[in-house]
Amino acid sequence: MKMEIVDILFAFFGAMVVLPVIYMLITRNIIRAAFALVISLLGIAAIYVLLNAELMAVVQILIYAGGIIVLLIFGIMLTKRVSDEGVVSEHRNVILGGAIAAILLGLITWGIFQSGLVWEGEPNTVDQVRTIGISFMTDYLLSFEVIAFLLLVALVGASYLAKRSGNI
Amino acid sequence: MSAIPLTYYLVLSAFLLCSGLLMVLIKKNAVFVLLGIELMLNAANLNLVAFSKFNPNLDGQIFAVFSVVVAAAEAAIALAILLNIYKKFDSSDLDDLNTMEY
Repeated sequence: MKMEIVDILFAFFGAMVVLPVIYMLITRNIIRAAFALVISLLGIAAIYVLLNAELMAVVQILIYAGGIIVLLIFGIMLTKRVSDEGVVSEHRNVILGGAIAAILLGLITWGIFQSGLVWEGEPNTVDQVRTIGISFMTDYLLSFEVIAFLLLVALVGASYLAKRSGNI
Repeated sequence: MSAIPLTYYLVLSAFLLCSGLLMVLIKKNAVFVLLGIELMLNAANLNLVAFSKFNPNLDGQIFAVFSVVVAAAEAAIALAILLNIYKKFDSSDLDDLNTMEY
């Protein structure tokens, strides 16, 4: 079987996703886990490009690797004293949790290979940004407005909750 | 043309989901639990994008964009709550949160 360039790319970016996740499971240092998650999210963005989803790749890099990671690192810095040695976190229930996760992974993988799902037809070559933008303003207009309002409410609520209590 | 079958992407997504679940189950720190939840949301997004590769309507990608927005809102709210918990209990270990009084 001939190895194509896309196979090598998929293997590389798949390893780029999987290995940092395994490191996150092993390590007890929260800062290192957060930066490992950055690498993993960038790998997922690359896999989106392999899936012909350029817009989702850009959204992934901007929002996940840019925004959510910064929020999480702020959370780590604000809830840990840097002076004591403690950006570490203990593990508990390792055997039971590992057994549950391994059984679930086995069941899902077995189900996927049993299902025999394949893609049919030709991969789409439409202009994605135009198609998605038009869909947002026509078919999904109500969802779009609701999600915009949800984001506004969440940001106002987060800034209210994080305010120092007492001087409301 | 791409020779990688759909099932490989689905198995990768299943791995991400189970790793996120394991991280939620075994870690003691609340920030680690949030990292695990982000991994699980990413697994769902990967599935949606993979299924919409051959769909000219791009419904899966639109749903994935909505999911990303909800994940961002969730992260902001969860970290605000986490800061309040840290101020109240002086700890972000989940085992120390053993009262509902505020």
